[in-house]
Amino acid sequence: MNVRLASRLALVTLFLVSLGATAKNSAPQQQTKVSKSSPAQTATTESEEGEKRFERQCGRCHVPPEDLSPREAKAVVRQMRVRANLTAEDERLILKYLAP
Amino acid sequence: MFPRSLCTLLLSLSAALVISAQSSTPIISGGVQYLSTTSGGTTFFQPTISPVVTIPFGDHWLIESRGTFDEFISREDGATGPFHSLTLSSVDYLQLDYVANSHLTIVVGDFLTPFNIYNERIAPIWIHNLSDAPLIAGIGTRTSGSSEGGMLRGVAVSRKNWQLNYVAYFSALVTARQFNAGRSTGGRVGTFIPGKRLELGVSYQRFLQDQHLNSWGTYLVWQPSSAPLDLRAEYAHTRGGQGYWIEGAYRFSRFRGADSWLGRLQAIGRVQQFYLGTPAPDDVNPGADTQRVDFGLNYYLPHNLRLNTSYGRQFTSLGNSNIWNFQITYRFLFPLLPGGSK
Repeated sequence: MNVRLASRLALVTLFLVSLGATAKNSAPQQQTKVSKSSPAQTATTESEEGEKRFERQCGRCHVPPEDLSPREAKAVVRQMRVRANLTAEDERLILKYLAP
Repeated sequence: MFPRSLCTLLLSLSAALVISAQSSTPIISGGVQYLSTTSGGTTFFQPTISPVVTIPFGDHWLIESRGTFDEFISREDGATGPFHSLTLSSVDYLQLDYVANSHLTIVVGDFLTPFNIYNERIAPIWIHNLSDAPLIAGIGTRTSGSSEGGMLRGVAVSRKNWQLNYVAYFSALVTARQFNAGRSTGGRVGTFIPGKRLELGVSYQRFLQDQHLNSWGTYLVWQPSSAPLDLRAEYAHTRGGQGYWIEGAYRFSRFRGADSWLGRLQAIGRVQQFYLGTPAPDDVNPGADTQRVDFGLNYYLPHNLRLNTSYGRQFTSLGNSNIWNFQITYRFLFPLLPGGSK
């Protein structure tokens, strides 16, 4: 009985370990997928992340301005970086959203 | 003839325009408003233009300035008599910023006193949800709401789940008409939790002249991701008094989308109380214990136009009153130079 119980426990342990190993292996694959994405896909992802950052950081006070050209957006975001204590990454991503 | 301060302002801005970087363009933004207020039976009208000039140059530098030009139109005897008007103008800030990195921005010049959040972030006419400033707006922002000197600010720590931001400043005594400021020092520390969309912070000001007052305050900004609700609150304390305000604004964007006729509507409620302490002669706080409640309806029209309407009831031993506000605001943004938007 004890041998049977031990073997079942060993099987369950082996199964759990293999699950963990699969999960570990899948993480780098996902990373590889992101790093191999096209520049257009990366720009879209960054624009979406920029929108999220805008909503979190800037949306606390105001709604997004309408119709900004890229050069105007750069001036606006520089000003907001100072006023709203944005990080360099926030500035870059919000700029991608305002002026893709 | 221009006052000397205005000439200095124009010269500074012109010089910066010349060396402005090609990758970005200097802009002029801001708001124009028409405000009609009836308070305790007295009506006045206030057209205002508040332009903000922003001149980025190089990768790290920025000059920014905001002015406010008001016309204050009221009846000579309050509720009766002919109308007369008073023109007011002010430079709210004129500052040079050096953005060193995410952790540090150095600001010199005339800047908005960073006490809590109302003065620096919410006060502009195209941002505030309710036209009237909170009862405690005068605490921690002596003497004019602006400071003259230097300020350090930035994000001290940035992690995925939280950020710690800070501001520290020193201001000298300046009595020039457009650049009035008191000698003071102070700062603000805030924590922002992006996942919860919650910011909490504390502020402190030490006023270093006359009675050497201490002021401190705390604030909260919360935008729950489950609803289009903005919740803001401040508490402030000084020898002259203490008080708080809590404001909630709900945008009906969940109904047919943010650009539908209903989604453009926003309902606002604000509750505030002020308790009088030992006031200094030049305090701008209410002269008695005061309670006030405001209800507002704002409508976001296309093309950066917004209508603000509100009703408030104020309770004080100096006399209770009703306050009605109607405001229409246009938010603008143009390049300062021809062809700047291309």
